Amino acid sequence: MLVIKYQKKGDASFISHIDLLKHMGRIIRRADIPMNFSKGFNPHPLLFFSPPMVLGGQSECEYVFLSTEMNSEEAFRRYKGAVPEGLMALEFFDVKKNPNLQAEIEIADYVYPVEYRDIDLSDCVIRYTKKGEEKEENVSSKIFGTFSENGKLCVRMAAGNSPLRPDRIIGKLSEIYNEEISLTEVVKVRQYVKKDGELINVDDFIKEGKF
Amino acid sequence: MQCSMEDYKDKFKKILLQVEKPGRYTGGEWNTPDMNKKRRADFVFCFPEVYEIGMSNLGMQILYSIINKQEGFAAERCFAPWTDMGQKLKENDIPLLSLETKKPLKDFSVVGFSIGYELLYTNVLYMLDLAKIPFRAKDRGEEYPIILAGGPCTANPEPFAPFFDVIIAGEGEEADLEVLKIVADGKEKGLTKTEILKQIKSVKGAYVPALHEKGEVVVKAVIRDFENAESIDKPLVPVIETVHDRAQLELYRGCASGCRFCQAGYWYRPIRERSAEKCFDFAKSMCDSAGFDEISLCSLSTSDYTDLEKLQGYLEPYCHEKMINLSLPSLRISSFKPEMAKDSRKSSLTFAPEAGTQRLRNVINKNVSEEEIDKIAVAFEAGYESIKLYFMMGLPTETDEDIDGIAKICRRLKDLYYEKKHKRGLNISVSCAVFVPKPCSPFQWEAQISFDEMLRRQRYLRDQLRQIKGVNFSWHGAEPSMLEAALARGDQKQADVIENAYAAGAKFDGWSEYFNWDIWKKAFEDSGLDMTTYTGAQDINAELPWDFIDIGATKQYLLKQRELAYSAVTTKNCREGCNGCGALRLGRCTIC
Ligand code: SF4
Ligand code: SF4
Repeated sequence: MLVIKYQKKGDASFISHIDLLKHMGRIIRRADIPMNFSKGFNPHPLLFFSPPMVLGGQSECEYVFLSTEMNSEEAFRRYKGAVPEGLMALEFFDVKKNPNLQAEIEIADYVYPVEYRDIDLSDCVIRYTKKGEEKEENVSSKIFGTFSENGKLCVRMAAGNSPLRPDRIIGKLSEIYNEEISLTEVVKVRQYVKKDGELINVDDFIKEGKF
Repeated sequence: MQCSMEDYKDKFKKILLQVEKPGRYTGGEWNTPDMNKKRRADFVFCFPEVYEIGMSNLGMQILYSIINKQEGFAAERCFAPWTDMGQKLKENDIPLLSLETKKPLKDFSVVGFSIGYELLYTNVLYMLDLAKIPFRAKDRGEEYPIILAGGPCTANPEPFAPFFDVIIAGEGEEADLEVLKIVADGKEKGLTKTEILKQIKSVKGAYVPALHEKGEVVVKAVIRDFENAESIDKPLVPVIETVHDRAQLELYRGCASGCRFCQAGYWYRPIRERSAEKCFDFAKSMCDSAGFDEISLCSLSTSDYTDLEKLQGYLEPYCHEKMINLSLPSLRISSFKPEMAKDSRKSSLTFAPEAGTQRLRNVINKNVSEEEIDKIAVAFEAGYESIKLYFMMGLPTETDEDIDGIAKICRRLKDLYYEKKHKRGLNISVSCAVFVPKPCSPFQWEAQISFDEMLRRQRYLRDQLRQIKGVNFSWHGAEPSMLEAALARGDQKQADVIENAYAAGAKFDGWSEYFNWDIWKKAFEDSGLDMTTYTGAQDINAELPWDFIDIGATKQYLLKQRELAYSAVTTKNCREGCNGCGALRLGRCTIC
């Protein structure tokens, strides 16, 4: 059994999550990596995804668990030849079971295309429309800090059950920086799970195999 | 000031997030051929519908792949942007761009539209408008590319002929490439557009409206050796879900049934089958290279394919091993075998008796008998609980008795179903289209029933079906059906109508939310034309606008079929022997 860590960049960042499920199934078929299927009337491949990046944004840390008997080395080799650049794999992990990242992941880091400055997001009120309704929300409790990532602004935010969508604070950041920021240049760079109050990078979490 | 291509790319990327389903416009599909190779000339396939529909068009993918396999030539695609994107392009002053390299349409050597439906005519203008290309061929100078049309609507190209430099009547596999080569040579030799068009005129199937002389005949282009013709081995894998999101396997061209209302049945003659071995090879390479998990067999009447059992024999083990779903659409009742129902994961059957009584089915030559309808019982036995029935209303000689027949069929099916002692109820959905007389069919001279009569018959049928429990009734709108009929048999004068309609806001006419009847009525009026002259009966002795296209089947044959229709005499299926329609002049029917 495997976890594939892959990117979602360029054209691929415009693939919706629903469509991505289909794409991933097709990539694995083309790569000829054998998959295990669910039982029952309408069998589907056993693929389990981490929480998706918002449509239009980029990511360097998407994950999918795949139930297969093939080892990571061979699967990685095959995967590379069957995938467009935008969904290229970054790493393959052998695992004993499904780490259930959809439920485990709680926090993520997003890099915005502006220079890092010490900005104050401690009282961050955002406005957005949801289902045609204007909403206003103070999201400070969902922002866990800002820091420099190679000189760029990186924001650590809630990503789990009650996440903060990285596009939702773009308005606020544009205000602070007084420049236009495009979601297409926002990149999710890392995701974390939380164990005993401590943040663990998903890569390490998977490698340790304690799930 | 002219923008460079890079500028467009950047500007375009910015608006992607402001529109619905941006995946429609990104391109980058798996199996996209090499776009960086050196090009002597290039072709952009334009499909006047949205991505999800256009990407399901098999013909376009075949032509696309043929050109891209050629050294020195490239083909790209462009679909009609949905209205939100159309508006953004205009607002941002971005011309319509190709999907692959985001190159303005205007900068291609050939811009080729595939037109498969009359209600797409305004979308052709919509795309030309967005591409900043003048509509009329006569208004386009040397700086504009060759604008070409192909697809089933070329059976009568006259309504849109003034918009095009070249129209390919028939199959484009050989013709499109030939045109592209002539354009490349012409450009390299510094020829003028008129000189190039003169050469294109000699390509099989090519109709050049500006150089066409009265009395000249255009012979439909036909792929003679279909067995060895190119097909798709590496299908493009759509970015977003499309309407036929699977491997589509073309088994044969043409149809042996000869239903008299059916344009496709005549248009795609001669009937040419591909061997089961070849079909299987294509199926495998499509699935292996694209990763599809479903194959559908698509031809006009799939279950008539000679080697269907043999092909199923090849496909089934392969599909089983690879967990691929095999779907068999468009079954005809007369060739339905219980084995086909078995193992099917689908729970709905589809049948098209087209008419409610035996008499009317004889008139239209739909060889479906009462006994054969009774055969549906086999499917009920196999576990089917819902069935979709397709009928046509307003066929020549139809009376209320024929409409009663539709209700009778529904009752009969219910009886058959309950004889099998089913616990759950049977779902019947009846879908009723309005008969649209089409060029190149034996009914090309027939009248379409009047607008009021359409409404009366629809009400009449609805009231009858209401009395039967479990029957769901849907019908095609009367207005679009009337427009379709008017445009299908139009002449060059209608180019004004189409232009007027587009100017008044008509586009995406095939979408009910955009169809605007008032615009069209007014467009006809403003052009001084009466829609009913086109929808009414046509004189069998007069010359028809599309007579100059030789489709294979002769006008005499169509007339003879029309006479047989009026005496309710059927014509045998071509598989039982050639009926001498005349298509053999253009190629061999491989079934006889
Ligand atoms: S079966 Fe009849 S309606 Fe269907 S494609 Fe053939 S001729 Fe046309
Ligand atoms: S009538 Fe003869 S030539 Fe015409 S389609 Fe049938 S078999 Fe072919």
